Amino acid sequence: MQRSIPFEIFRYAVILGIVAVSLVPTLWMISMAFKPIAEWSAAGADLTWWPRNPTLDNFRFIFGQSSTDLIVALERTAGRPIFASLLTATCGTLIAMTAGTSAAYGLSRFGQGGNLPLALIQLRLFPPMAVMIPVMIMWSFLGLIDNWFGLSLIYGIVTLPFAFWLMKTFFDDMPREIEDAALVEGCTRWRVFVRITLPMMRPALASSALFVFILNWSDYLIALLLTTRDWATIPVYMASLSSSMTGQLYGAKAALGVIAAVPPIIMGIAIQKHLVRGLTFGALKE
Amino acid sequence: MTNVSAMAPAVEKIDAPATQSARLGLWLTLPAQLLVLFIALFPILMQVYISLTDWSPLDGIPWWKAHELWIGLLNYADLMADNRFWGALWRTMFVMAICVPVQFLLGLGLAVLFVDDFRGKRVLYSTLLVPMMVVPAVAGYMFFMLFQSGGPVNDLLSFFTSDPVRIAWLSDPDLALIAVMIADIWQWTPLMFLILLAGMISVPQDQQMAAILLGASWWRRFFTIVLPRMKSIIIIALAIRVIEIFKIFDTLFIMTGGGPGVATETISVYIYKVTQQELIWSYVAAIALAILIVLSVVSVFAIKRMQRGQKP
Repeated sequence: MQRSIPFEIFRYAVILGIVAVSLVPTLWMISMAFKPIAEWSAAGADLTWWPRNPTLDNFRFIFGQSSTDLIVALERTAGRPIFASLLTATCGTLIAMTAGTSAAYGLSRFGQGGNLPLALIQLRLFPPMAVMIPVMIMWSFLGLIDNWFGLSLIYGIVTLPFAFWLMKTFFDDMPREIEDAALVEGCTRWRVFVRITLPMMRPALASSALFVFILNWSDYLIALLLTTRDWATIPVYMASLSSSMTGQLYGAKAALGVIAAVPPIIMGIAIQKHLVRGLTFGALKE
Repeated sequence: MTNVSAMAPAVEKIDAPATQSARLGLWLTLPAQLLVLFIALFPILMQVYISLTDWSPLDGIPWWKAHELWIGLLNYADLMADNRFWGALWRTMFVMAICVPVQFLLGLGLAVLFVDDFRGKRVLYSTLLVPMMVVPAVAGYMFFMLFQSGGPVNDLLSFFTSDPVRIAWLSDPDLALIAVMIADIWQWTPLMFLILLAGMISVPQDQQMAAILLGASWWRRFFTIVLPRMKSIIIIALAIRVIEIFKIFDTLFIMTGGGPGVATETISVYIYKVTQQELIWSYVAAIALAILIVLSVVSVFAIKRMQRGQKP
Protein backbone atom coordinates (compact mmCIF):
# COMPACT_ATOMS: atom_id res chain seq x y z
CA MET A 1 0.00 0.00 0.00
CA GLN A 2 1.40 3.38 0.85
CA ARG A 3 5.15 3.34 0.98
CA SER A 4 5.94 6.94 1.81
CA ILE A 5 8.39 7.71 4.59
CA PRO A 6 5.89 9.71 6.68
CA PHE A 7 3.56 6.73 6.56
CA GLU A 8 6.29 4.38 7.74
CA ILE A 9 7.09 6.72 10.63
CA PHE A 10 3.40 6.93 11.48
CA ARG A 11 3.08 3.16 11.34
CA TYR A 12 5.98 2.54 13.72
CA ALA A 13 4.91 5.29 16.09
CA VAL A 14 1.38 3.93 16.43
CA ILE A 15 2.42 0.30 16.67
CA LEU A 16 5.18 0.92 19.18
CA GLY A 17 2.83 3.06 21.26
CA ILE A 18 0.22 0.32 21.38
CA VAL A 19 2.83 -2.35 22.06
CA ALA A 20 4.05 -0.28 25.01
CA VAL A 21 0.53 0.09 26.42
CA SER A 22 -0.15 -3.60 25.97
CA LEU A 23 3.03 -4.59 27.79
CA VAL A 24 2.90 -2.21 30.76
CA PRO A 25 0.42 -4.15 32.93
CA THR A 26 2.36 -7.38 32.52
CA LEU A 27 5.70 -5.70 33.11
CA TRP A 28 4.34 -3.96 36.18
CA MET A 29 3.34 -7.30 37.66
CA ILE A 30 6.74 -8.80 36.88
CA SER A 31 8.40 -5.80 38.47
CA MET A 32 6.20 -6.18 41.57
CA ALA A 33 7.09 -9.84 41.82
CA PHE A 34 10.77 -9.03 42.25
CA LYS A 35 10.39 -6.12 44.64
CA PRO A 36 11.33 -6.56 48.28
CA ILE A 37 8.54 -6.00 50.75
CA ALA A 38 9.65 -2.47 51.60
CA GLU A 39 8.97 -1.40 48.02
CA TRP A 40 5.47 -2.81 47.73
CA SER A 41 4.00 -2.67 51.20
CA ALA A 42 4.26 1.06 51.81
CA ALA A 43 1.06 1.90 49.98
CA GLY A 44 1.35 5.12 48.09
CA ALA A 45 4.53 6.25 49.80
CA ASP A 46 7.02 6.21 47.01
CA LEU A 47 6.23 4.39 43.85
CA THR A 48 9.12 2.64 42.13
CA TRP A 49 8.62 1.53 38.55
CA TRP A 50 11.46 -0.94 38.65
CA PRO A 51 12.68 -2.86 41.73
CA ARG A 52 15.58 -1.01 43.33
CA ASN A 53 16.75 -4.10 45.16
CA PRO A 54 15.49 -7.04 43.14
CA THR A 55 14.86 -10.11 45.24
CA LEU A 56 13.33 -13.57 45.03
CA ASP A 57 11.74 -13.18 48.49
CA ASN A 58 8.21 -13.13 47.08
CA PHE A 59 8.71 -16.44 45.34
CA ARG A 60 10.31 -17.97 48.42
CA PHE A 61 7.45 -16.66 50.52
CA ILE A 62 4.66 -18.27 48.50
CA PHE A 63 6.50 -21.58 48.63
CA GLY A 64 6.52 -21.42 52.39
CA GLN A 65 9.91 -20.07 53.27
CA SER A 66 9.53 -17.39 55.90
CA SER A 67 10.76 -14.07 54.70
CA THR A 68 13.05 -11.80 56.65
CA ASP A 69 10.73 -8.80 56.61
CA LEU A 70 7.36 -10.43 56.44
CA ILE A 71 6.30 -11.85 59.78
CA VAL A 72 3.17 -13.59 58.53
CA ALA A 73 3.42 -17.21 57.58
CA LEU A 74 1.17 -18.73 54.97
CA GLU A 75 -1.43 -21.21 56.02
CA ARG A 76 -1.08 -22.97 52.68
CA THR A 77 1.76 -22.68 50.23
CA ALA A 78 1.51 -22.29 46.47
CA GLY A 79 2.82 -25.75 45.69
CA ARG A 80 -0.48 -27.50 46.06
CA PRO A 81 -2.56 -25.04 43.96
CA ILE A 82 0.05 -25.15 41.19
CA PHE A 83 -0.15 -28.93 41.22
CA ALA A 84 -3.96 -28.75 41.23
CA SER A 85 -3.97 -26.38 38.24
CA LEU A 86 -1.52 -28.55 36.31
CA LEU A 87 -3.34 -31.80 37.02
CA THR A 88 -6.89 -30.60 36.36
CA ALA A 89 -5.96 -28.61 33.25
CA THR A 90 -4.04 -31.61 31.87
CA CYS A 91 -6.78 -34.14 32.61
CA GLY A 92 -9.45 -31.75 31.30
CA THR A 93 -7.42 -31.40 28.11
CA LEU A 94 -7.14 -35.18 27.79
CA ILE A 95 -10.89 -35.62 28.16
CA ALA A 96 -11.73 -32.85 25.68
CA MET A 97 -9.14 -33.99 23.14
CA THR A 98 -10.10 -37.66 23.29
CA ALA A 99 -13.82 -37.06 22.93
CA GLY A 100 -13.33 -34.13 20.56
CA THR A 101 -10.86 -35.79 18.21
CA SER A 102 -12.79 -39.01 17.82
CA ALA A 103 -16.09 -37.20 17.34
CA ALA A 104 -14.50 -34.85 14.82
CA TYR A 105 -13.18 -37.83 12.87
CA GLY A 106 -16.53 -39.57 13.07
CA LEU A 107 -18.26 -36.53 11.62
CA SER A 108 -15.62 -35.59 9.09
CA ARG A 109 -15.25 -39.08 7.59
CA PHE A 110 -18.45 -40.98 8.35
CA GLY A 111 -20.99 -38.19 8.66
CA GLN A 112 -22.09 -39.36 12.09
CA GLY A 113 -23.13 -37.00 14.87
CA GLY A 114 -24.44 -34.23 12.65
CA ASN A 115 -26.07 -32.57 15.65
CA LEU A 116 -22.73 -32.01 17.39
CA PRO A 117 -21.47 -28.87 15.60
CA LEU A 118 -24.51 -26.82 16.53
CA ALA A 119 -24.84 -28.33 20.00
CA LEU A 120 -21.21 -27.55 20.77
CA ILE A 121 -21.44 -23.99 19.48
CA GLN A 122 -24.37 -23.50 21.82
CA LEU A 123 -22.41 -25.02 24.67
CA ARG A 124 -19.70 -22.47 24.02
CA LEU A 125 -22.26 -19.68 23.85
CA PHE A 126 -23.83 -20.12 27.26
CA PRO A 127 -22.38 -18.34 30.24
CA PRO A 128 -20.96 -21.08 32.49
CA MET A 129 -22.62 -19.26 35.37
CA ALA A 130 -26.01 -20.17 33.90
CA VAL A 131 -25.53 -23.93 34.25
CA MET A 132 -23.54 -23.94 37.45
CA ILE A 133 -26.44 -24.51 39.86
CA PRO A 134 -27.34 -27.95 38.45
CA VAL A 135 -23.65 -28.73 38.00
CA MET A 136 -22.97 -27.89 41.63
CA ILE A 137 -25.91 -30.03 42.73
CA MET A 138 -24.90 -32.94 40.49
CA TRP A 139 -21.25 -32.70 41.46
CA SER A 140 -22.00 -32.71 45.17
CA PHE A 141 -24.41 -35.61 44.65
CA LEU A 142 -21.62 -37.53 42.91
CA GLY A 143 -19.03 -36.47 45.48
CA LEU A 144 -17.04 -34.49 42.94
CA ILE A 145 -16.84 -31.17 44.75
CA ASP A 146 -13.29 -30.16 45.65
CA ASN A 147 -12.00 -33.20 43.85
CA TRP A 148 -9.50 -33.29 41.01
CA PHE A 149 -11.60 -35.58 38.92
CA GLY A 150 -14.72 -33.44 39.23
CA LEU A 151 -12.88 -30.34 38.12
CA SER A 152 -11.16 -32.18 35.26
CA LEU A 153 -14.49 -33.55 34.05
CA ILE A 154 -16.17 -30.17 33.84
CA TYR A 155 -13.06 -28.68 32.17
CA GLY A 156 -13.18 -31.48 29.62
CA ILE A 157 -16.82 -30.69 28.87
CA VAL A 158 -16.42 -26.92 28.74
CA THR A 159 -13.49 -27.08 26.30
CA LEU A 160 -14.89 -29.94 24.22
CA PRO A 161 -16.33 -27.50 21.63
CA PHE A 162 -12.87 -26.10 20.95
CA ALA A 163 -11.20 -29.51 20.69
CA PHE A 164 -13.96 -30.77 18.42
CA TRP A 165 -14.05 -27.80 16.07
CA LEU A 166 -10.30 -27.48 15.80
CA MET A 167 -9.82 -31.16 15.01
CA LYS A 168 -12.79 -31.15 12.64
CA THR A 169 -11.25 -28.42 10.52
CA PHE A 170 -7.89 -30.22 10.56
CA PHE A 171 -9.52 -33.49 9.46
CA ASP A 172 -11.53 -31.69 6.78
CA ASP A 173 -8.30 -30.21 5.42
CA MET A 174 -6.42 -33.48 5.40
CA PRO A 175 -6.15 -35.16 2.00
CA ARG A 176 -7.84 -38.56 1.93
CA GLU A 177 -5.62 -40.26 -0.62
CA ILE A 178 -3.35 -41.87 1.96
CA GLU A 179 -6.28 -43.21 3.97
CA ASP A 180 -7.88 -44.52 0.80
CA ALA A 181 -4.66 -46.26 -0.20
CA ALA A 182 -4.46 -48.00 3.17
CA LEU A 183 -8.08 -49.11 2.83
CA VAL A 184 -7.33 -50.62 -0.53
CA GLU A 185 -4.42 -52.46 1.09
CA GLY A 186 -6.99 -54.11 3.32
CA CYS A 187 -6.66 -52.17 6.58
CA THR A 188 -9.81 -51.81 8.67
CA ARG A 189 -11.17 -48.30 9.15
CA TRP A 190 -10.20 -48.37 12.82
CA ARG A 191 -6.61 -49.34 12.00
CA VAL A 192 -6.43 -46.57 9.41
CA PHE A 193 -7.57 -44.06 12.02
CA VAL A 194 -5.17 -45.21 14.74
CA ARG A 195 -2.15 -46.15 12.65
CA ILE A 196 -2.24 -43.67 9.80
CA THR A 197 -4.50 -40.71 10.42
CA LEU A 198 -3.61 -39.95 14.03
CA PRO A 199 0.18 -40.10 13.54
CA MET A 200 -0.17 -37.84 10.51
CA MET A 201 -2.19 -35.39 12.57
CA ARG A 202 0.39 -35.16 15.34
CA PRO A 203 1.18 -31.44 14.82
CA ALA A 204 -2.54 -30.62 14.65
CA LEU A 205 -3.19 -32.64 17.79
CA ALA A 206 -0.38 -30.89 19.62
CA SER A 207 -1.59 -27.40 18.68
CA SER A 208 -5.17 -28.20 19.58
CA ALA A 209 -4.15 -29.73 22.89
CA LEU A 210 -2.09 -26.65 23.78
CA PHE A 211 -5.00 -24.41 22.83
CA VAL A 212 -7.38 -26.38 25.04
CA PHE A 213 -4.83 -26.51 27.85
CA ILE A 214 -4.53 -22.71 27.85
CA LEU A 215 -8.30 -22.40 28.17
CA ASN A 216 -8.43 -24.86 31.06
CA TRP A 217 -5.46 -23.30 32.80
CA SER A 218 -7.12 -19.87 32.50
CA ASP A 219 -10.32 -20.82 34.25
CA TYR A 220 -11.29 -19.04 37.44
CA LEU A 221 -15.07 -19.13 37.79
CA ILE A 222 -15.55 -22.90 37.66
CA ALA A 223 -12.78 -23.64 40.12
CA LEU A 224 -14.17 -20.92 42.37
CA LEU A 225 -17.51 -22.72 42.53
CA LEU A 226 -16.37 -26.34 42.54
CA THR A 227 -13.35 -26.30 44.83
CA THR A 228 -13.11 -25.25 48.41
CA ARG A 229 -9.67 -26.01 49.68
CA ASP A 230 -7.77 -29.12 48.69
CA TRP A 231 -8.04 -28.64 44.94
CA ALA A 232 -8.20 -24.86 44.75
CA THR A 233 -6.39 -23.85 41.57
CA ILE A 234 -3.91 -21.00 41.23
CA PRO A 235 -6.41 -18.17 40.58
CA VAL A 236 -8.64 -19.29 43.45
CA TYR A 237 -5.66 -19.58 45.78
CA MET A 238 -4.36 -16.23 44.62
CA ALA A 239 -7.59 -14.48 45.56
CA SER A 240 -7.29 -15.92 49.05
CA LEU A 241 -3.80 -14.52 49.51
CA SER A 242 -4.56 -11.58 51.73
CA SER A 243 -3.98 -11.39 55.39
CA SER A 244 -5.42 -9.25 58.09
CA MET A 245 -1.95 -8.21 59.18
CA THR A 246 -0.51 -7.04 55.89
CA GLY A 247 -3.64 -6.49 53.83
CA GLN A 248 -3.05 -7.26 50.21
CA LEU A 249 0.13 -9.25 49.78
CA TYR A 250 0.98 -7.46 46.56
CA GLY A 251 4.41 -8.95 46.01
CA ALA A 252 3.37 -12.50 46.80
CA LYS A 253 0.33 -12.26 44.54
CA ALA A 254 2.43 -10.81 41.76
CA ALA A 255 4.92 -13.65 42.07
CA LEU A 256 2.08 -16.14 41.83
CA GLY A 257 0.62 -14.18 38.92
CA VAL A 258 3.92 -14.48 37.05
CA ILE A 259 3.94 -18.24 37.61
CA ALA A 260 0.33 -18.49 36.36
CA ALA A 261 0.76 -16.15 33.39
CA VAL A 262 4.01 -17.33 31.86
CA PRO A 263 3.10 -20.85 30.63
CA PRO A 264 0.04 -19.81 28.56
CA ILE A 265 1.91 -16.87 27.03
CA ILE A 266 4.71 -19.15 25.83
CA MET A 267 2.26 -21.79 24.60
CA GLY A 268 0.07 -19.20 22.94
CA ILE A 269 2.97 -17.73 21.01
CA ALA A 270 4.06 -21.22 20.02
CA ILE A 271 0.68 -21.96 18.45
CA GLN A 272 -0.16 -18.47 17.20
CA LYS A 273 -0.56 -19.81 13.68
CA HIS A 274 -3.63 -21.74 14.79
CA LEU A 275 -5.11 -19.24 17.23
CA VAL A 276 -7.50 -17.76 14.67
CA ARG A 277 -8.75 -21.18 13.66
CA GLY A 278 -9.38 -22.14 17.29
CA LEU A 279 -11.01 -18.88 18.28
CA THR A 280 -13.34 -18.65 15.30
CA PHE A 281 -14.28 -22.35 15.37
CA GLY A 282 -12.59 -22.98 12.06
CA ALA A 283 -14.54 -20.34 10.20
CA LEU A 284 -11.23 -18.73 9.35
CA LYS A 285 -7.98 -20.57 8.74
CA GLU A 286 -4.59 -19.21 7.95
CA MET B 1 -6.94 -19.11 3.00
CA THR B 2 -10.48 -18.54 4.15
CA ASN B 3 -13.04 -21.20 4.44
CA VAL B 4 -16.15 -19.60 5.73
CA SER B 5 -18.20 -22.62 4.76
CA ALA B 6 -16.55 -24.74 7.45
CA MET B 7 -19.71 -24.47 9.52
CA ALA B 8 -21.70 -26.45 7.00
CA PRO B 9 -21.10 -30.16 7.55
CA ALA B 10 -18.62 -31.30 4.96
CA VAL B 11 -19.73 -34.87 4.64
CA GLU B 12 -18.21 -37.19 2.12
CA LYS B 13 -18.29 -40.84 2.79
CA ILE B 14 -15.52 -43.14 1.79
CA ASP B 15 -17.07 -46.27 0.36
CA ALA B 16 -15.44 -49.18 2.30
CA PRO B 17 -18.05 -51.46 3.81
CA ALA B 18 -20.69 -48.86 4.52
CA THR B 19 -22.22 -50.40 7.64
CA GLN B 20 -18.85 -50.99 9.25
CA SER B 21 -17.96 -47.34 8.68
CA ALA B 22 -21.26 -46.11 10.03
CA ARG B 23 -20.86 -48.21 13.16
CA LEU B 24 -17.33 -46.98 13.76
CA GLY B 25 -18.53 -43.41 13.21
CA LEU B 26 -21.21 -43.88 15.84
CA TRP B 27 -18.73 -45.27 18.34
CA LEU B 28 -16.32 -42.43 17.70
CA THR B 29 -18.92 -39.75 18.27
CA LEU B 30 -20.40 -41.50 21.31
CA PRO B 31 -18.18 -40.00 24.04
CA ALA B 32 -18.81 -36.45 22.84
CA GLN B 33 -22.54 -37.14 22.54
CA LEU B 34 -22.64 -38.51 26.08
CA LEU B 35 -20.75 -35.54 27.48
CA VAL B 36 -23.08 -33.09 25.72
CA LEU B 37 -26.11 -35.00 26.93
CA PHE B 38 -24.67 -35.09 30.44
CA ILE B 39 -24.13 -31.33 30.54
CA ALA B 40 -27.29 -30.38 28.64
CA LEU B 41 -30.11 -32.74 29.47
CA PHE B 42 -29.82 -33.34 33.22
CA PRO B 43 -28.90 -29.80 34.19
CA ILE B 44 -31.72 -28.30 32.17
CA LEU B 45 -34.34 -30.69 33.53
CA MET B 46 -33.02 -30.12 37.02
CA GLN B 47 -33.00 -26.38 36.45
CA VAL B 48 -36.65 -26.42 35.31
CA TYR B 49 -37.64 -28.48 38.33
CA ILE B 50 -35.80 -26.46 40.95
CA SER B 51 -36.79 -23.12 39.47
CA LEU B 52 -40.42 -23.96 40.24
CA THR B 53 -39.71 -24.41 43.93
CA ASP B 54 -38.36 -22.37 46.80
CA TRP B 55 -35.49 -24.75 47.47
CA SER B 56 -32.11 -23.70 48.81
CA PRO B 57 -29.22 -25.85 50.01
CA LEU B 58 -29.80 -24.51 53.51
CA ASP B 59 -33.27 -26.04 53.77
CA GLY B 60 -31.86 -29.37 54.83
CA ILE B 61 -33.89 -31.37 52.35
CA PRO B 62 -32.22 -33.01 49.35
CA TRP B 63 -32.81 -31.42 45.97
CA TRP B 64 -34.96 -34.23 44.64
CA LYS B 65 -37.51 -33.50 47.36
CA ALA B 66 -37.65 -29.86 46.34
CA HIS B 67 -41.25 -30.31 45.18
CA GLU B 68 -42.27 -30.08 48.84
CA LEU B 69 -41.49 -26.39 48.46
CA TRP B 70 -43.40 -25.95 45.21
CA ILE B 71 -44.15 -22.33 44.41
CA GLY B 72 -44.97 -22.54 40.72
CA LEU B 73 -43.89 -19.59 38.67
CA LEU B 74 -43.29 -17.27 41.59
CA ASN B 75 -39.53 -17.15 40.94
CA TYR B 76 -40.17 -15.96 37.41
CA ALA B 77 -42.56 -13.33 38.65
CA ASP B 78 -39.91 -12.18 41.12
CA LEU B 79 -37.41 -12.00 38.29
CA MET B 80 -39.62 -9.61 36.33
CA ALA B 81 -39.65 -7.24 39.28
CA ASP B 82 -36.01 -7.70 40.30
CA ASN B 83 -34.36 -4.33 39.81
CA ARG B 84 -30.94 -5.65 40.68
CA PHE B 85 -31.20 -8.23 37.90
CA TRP B 86 -32.31 -5.71 35.29
CA GLY B 87 -29.64 -3.32 36.50
CA ALA B 88 -27.00 -6.00 36.04
CA LEU B 89 -28.34 -6.86 32.60
CA TRP B 90 -28.35 -3.23 31.58
CA ARG B 91 -24.80 -2.78 32.90
CA THR B 92 -23.60 -5.81 30.96
CA MET B 93 -25.16 -4.37 27.80
CA PHE B 94 -23.56 -1.01 28.50
CA VAL B 95 -20.08 -2.56 28.85
CA MET B 96 -20.76 -4.43 25.61
CA ALA B 97 -21.89 -1.29 23.82
CA ILE B 98 -18.68 0.52 24.75
CA CYS B 99 -16.07 -2.25 24.64
CA VAL B 100 -17.04 -4.07 21.45
CA PRO B 101 -16.90 -1.00 19.14
CA VAL B 102 -13.68 0.27 20.76
CA GLN B 103 -12.03 -3.15 20.42
CA PHE B 104 -13.27 -3.44 16.86
CA LEU B 105 -11.99 -0.05 15.73
CA LEU B 106 -8.62 -0.47 17.47
CA GLY B 107 -8.27 -3.99 16.11
CA LEU B 108 -9.21 -2.90 12.59
CA GLY B 109 -6.79 0.03 12.69
CA LEU B 110 -3.97 -2.21 13.85
CA ALA B 111 -4.83 -4.80 11.21
CA VAL B 112 -4.55 -2.13 8.51
CA LEU B 113 -1.09 -1.22 9.78
CA PHE B 114 -0.03 -4.88 9.80
CA VAL B 115 -1.46 -6.00 6.51
CA ASP B 116 1.68 -5.42 4.44
CA ASP B 117 5.23 -6.34 5.33
CA PHE B 118 7.59 -4.16 7.29
CA ARG B 119 10.69 -4.70 9.35
CA GLY B 120 10.02 -6.25 12.75
CA LYS B 121 6.46 -7.27 11.85
CA ARG B 122 6.60 -10.76 13.30
CA VAL B 123 8.03 -9.79 16.66
CA LEU B 124 5.63 -6.88 17.06
CA TYR B 125 2.72 -9.12 16.04
CA SER B 126 3.57 -11.73 18.68
CA THR B 127 4.07 -9.06 21.31
CA LEU B 128 0.67 -7.57 20.59
CA LEU B 129 -0.96 -10.93 21.22
CA VAL B 130 0.42 -11.25 24.75
CA PRO B 131 -2.50 -9.60 26.62
CA MET B 132 -5.08 -12.08 25.35
CA MET B 133 -2.94 -14.96 26.57
CA VAL B 134 -2.67 -13.66 30.13
CA VAL B 135 -4.90 -15.67 32.48
CA PRO B 136 -7.97 -13.41 32.91
CA ALA B 137 -7.92 -13.68 36.70
CA VAL B 138 -4.26 -12.62 36.69
CA ALA B 139 -5.12 -9.75 34.33
CA GLY B 140 -7.74 -8.72 36.85
CA TYR B 141 -5.09 -8.68 39.53
CA MET B 142 -2.72 -6.66 37.31
CA PHE B 143 -5.35 -3.98 36.81
CA PHE B 144 -6.29 -4.11 40.46
CA MET B 145 -2.70 -3.12 41.23
CA LEU B 146 -2.49 -0.55 38.44
CA PHE B 147 -5.60 1.28 39.60
CA GLN B 148 -4.68 1.52 43.29
CA SER B 149 -4.75 5.09 44.51
CA GLY B 150 -0.97 4.97 44.94
CA GLY B 151 -0.53 2.91 41.83
CA PRO B 152 1.14 3.49 38.47
CA VAL B 153 -1.93 4.87 36.67
CA ASN B 154 -2.19 7.74 39.11
CA ASP B 155 1.57 8.08 39.05
CA LEU B 156 1.47 8.58 35.30
CA LEU B 157 -1.38 11.06 35.58
CA SER B 158 0.57 12.96 38.24
CA PHE B 159 3.31 13.39 35.69
CA PHE B 160 1.00 15.57 33.61
CA THR B 161 -0.54 17.57 36.45
CA SER B 162 1.18 19.71 39.02
CA ASP B 163 -0.25 18.04 42.14
CA PRO B 164 -0.02 14.32 42.71
CA VAL B 165 -3.17 12.54 41.58
CA ARG B 166 -4.82 10.27 44.14
CA ILE B 167 -7.90 8.98 42.39
CA ALA B 168 -9.49 6.00 44.08
CA TRP B 169 -10.44 4.33 40.81
CA LEU B 170 -11.89 1.13 42.12
CA SER B 171 -13.95 2.60 44.94
CA ASP B 172 -15.67 5.23 42.83
CA PRO B 173 -18.82 3.79 41.19
CA ASP B 174 -18.34 5.50 37.82
CA LEU B 175 -14.58 5.16 37.62
CA ALA B 176 -14.69 1.51 38.67
CA LEU B 177 -16.83 0.69 35.64
CA ILE B 178 -14.42 2.61 33.41
CA ALA B 179 -11.43 0.77 34.93
CA VAL B 180 -13.13 -2.55 34.30
CA MET B 181 -13.81 -1.61 30.69
CA ILE B 182 -10.20 -0.48 30.20
CA ALA B 183 -9.03 -3.88 31.41
CA ASP B 184 -11.37 -5.66 28.98
CA ILE B 185 -10.29 -3.47 26.08
CA TRP B 186 -6.64 -4.08 26.97
CA GLN B 187 -7.06 -7.81 27.09
CA TRP B 188 -9.32 -8.44 24.11
CA THR B 189 -8.37 -5.88 21.47
CA PRO B 190 -5.61 -8.32 20.39
CA LEU B 191 -8.26 -10.93 19.63
CA MET B 192 -10.10 -8.55 17.30
CA PHE B 193 -6.78 -7.62 15.72
CA LEU B 194 -5.80 -11.25 15.22
CA ILE B 195 -9.07 -12.23 13.55
CA LEU B 196 -9.47 -9.06 11.48
CA LEU B 197 -5.87 -9.24 10.25
CA ALA B 198 -6.32 -12.87 9.17
CA GLY B 199 -9.51 -11.85 7.40
CA MET B 200 -7.88 -8.85 5.73
CA ILE B 201 -4.94 -10.91 4.46
CA SER B 202 -7.31 -13.41 2.90
CA VAL B 203 -9.06 -10.78 0.77
CA PRO B 204 -8.00 -11.65 -2.80
CA GLN B 205 -5.58 -9.24 -4.41
CA ASP B 206 -6.93 -9.24 -7.99
CA GLN B 207 -9.73 -6.72 -7.52
CA GLN B 208 -7.51 -4.44 -5.51
CA MET B 209 -4.90 -4.50 -8.23
CA ALA B 210 -7.54 -3.63 -10.79
CA ALA B 211 -8.72 -0.78 -8.60
CA ILE B 212 -5.16 0.51 -8.22
CA LEU B 213 -4.76 0.49 -11.99
CA LEU B 214 -7.98 2.44 -12.30
CA GLY B 215 -6.55 4.99 -9.90
CA ALA B 216 -8.84 4.39 -6.92
CA SER B 217 -7.58 5.96 -3.71
CA TRP B 218 -6.59 3.79 -0.75
CA TRP B 219 -9.66 4.83 1.24
CA ARG B 220 -11.94 4.02 -1.63
CA ARG B 221 -10.39 0.61 -2.13
CA PHE B 222 -10.62 -0.08 1.60
CA PHE B 223 -14.31 0.79 1.90
CA THR B 224 -15.55 -0.61 -1.39
CA ILE B 225 -13.40 -3.73 -1.79
CA VAL B 226 -11.67 -4.81 1.41
CA LEU B 227 -14.37 -4.19 4.02
CA PRO B 228 -17.27 -5.72 2.07
CA ARG B 229 -15.17 -8.83 1.42
CA MET B 230 -14.50 -9.12 5.16
CA LYS B 231 -18.16 -8.98 6.10
CA SER B 232 -18.58 -12.49 7.46
CA ILE B 233 -15.27 -12.37 9.33
CA ILE B 234 -16.23 -9.07 10.92
CA ILE B 235 -19.55 -10.55 12.00
CA ILE B 236 -17.76 -13.54 13.55
CA ALA B 237 -15.26 -11.33 15.39
CA LEU B 238 -18.02 -9.10 16.75
CA ALA B 239 -20.14 -12.11 17.71
CA ILE B 240 -17.27 -13.65 19.67
CA ARG B 241 -16.75 -10.48 21.69
CA VAL B 242 -20.48 -9.96 22.28
CA ILE B 243 -20.77 -13.51 23.59
CA GLU B 244 -17.70 -13.21 25.77
CA ILE B 245 -18.64 -9.84 27.24
CA PHE B 246 -22.05 -11.20 28.07
CA LYS B 247 -20.26 -13.77 30.24
CA ILE B 248 -17.75 -11.27 31.68
CA PHE B 249 -16.66 -12.35 35.14
CA ASP B 250 -13.03 -13.22 36.00
CA THR B 251 -11.18 -9.97 35.45
CA LEU B 252 -13.99 -7.82 36.71
CA PHE B 253 -14.66 -9.91 39.78
CA ILE B 254 -11.01 -9.82 40.86
CA MET B 255 -10.79 -6.07 40.27
CA THR B 256 -13.94 -4.92 42.02
CA GLY B 257 -15.95 -7.93 43.17
CA GLY B 258 -18.90 -6.24 41.47
CA GLY B 259 -18.59 -3.25 43.75
CA PRO B 260 -18.53 -0.62 45.02
CA GLY B 261 -22.13 -1.47 45.87
CA VAL B 262 -23.50 -2.86 42.64
CA ALA B 263 -21.61 -0.39 40.44
CA THR B 264 -19.84 -3.06 38.38
CA GLU B 265 -22.24 -5.93 38.93
CA THR B 266 -22.79 -7.74 35.64
CA ILE B 267 -25.08 -10.70 34.97
CA SER B 268 -22.48 -13.33 35.87
CA VAL B 269 -21.40 -11.48 39.01
CA TYR B 270 -25.01 -11.04 40.07
CA ILE B 271 -25.75 -14.74 39.60
CA TYR B 272 -22.55 -15.63 41.43
CA LYS B 273 -23.48 -13.47 44.39
CA VAL B 274 -26.99 -14.85 44.67
CA THR B 275 -25.53 -18.35 44.44
CA GLN B 276 -22.69 -18.01 46.92
CA GLN B 277 -23.82 -15.32 49.31
CA GLU B 278 -27.58 -15.40 49.39
CA LEU B 279 -27.84 -19.10 48.53
CA ILE B 280 -31.27 -18.83 46.93
CA TRP B 281 -30.52 -21.55 44.41
CA SER B 282 -34.04 -22.00 43.12
CA TYR B 283 -34.15 -18.35 42.15
CA VAL B 284 -30.75 -18.63 40.47
CA ALA B 285 -32.07 -21.60 38.51
CA ALA B 286 -34.94 -19.45 37.28
CA ILE B 287 -32.60 -16.62 36.23
CA ALA B 288 -30.22 -19.02 34.53
CA LEU B 289 -33.00 -20.81 32.71
CA ALA B 290 -34.46 -17.54 31.46
CA ILE B 291 -31.04 -16.56 30.11
CA LEU B 292 -30.51 -19.99 28.53
CA ILE B 293 -33.85 -19.87 26.75
CA VAL B 294 -33.32 -16.38 25.37
CA LEU B 295 -29.77 -17.22 24.25
CA SER B 296 -30.85 -20.50 22.63
CA VAL B 297 -33.53 -18.84 20.58
CA VAL B 298 -31.22 -16.03 19.52
CA SER B 299 -28.32 -18.35 18.72
CA VAL B 300 -30.28 -20.93 16.75
CA PHE B 301 -31.79 -18.11 14.72
CA ALA B 302 -28.39 -16.46 14.16
CA ILE B 303 -26.55 -19.66 13.25
CA LYS B 304 -29.26 -20.79 10.84
CA ARG B 305 -29.20 -17.41 9.20
CA MET B 306 -25.43 -17.47 8.88
CA GLN B 307 -25.45 -20.96 7.39
CA ARG B 308 -28.09 -19.91 4.91
CA GLY B 309 -26.16 -16.78 4.02
CA GLN B 310 -23.04 -18.80 3.29
CA LYS B 311 -24.60 -21.19 0.84
CA PRO B 312 -24.70 -19.58 -2.56
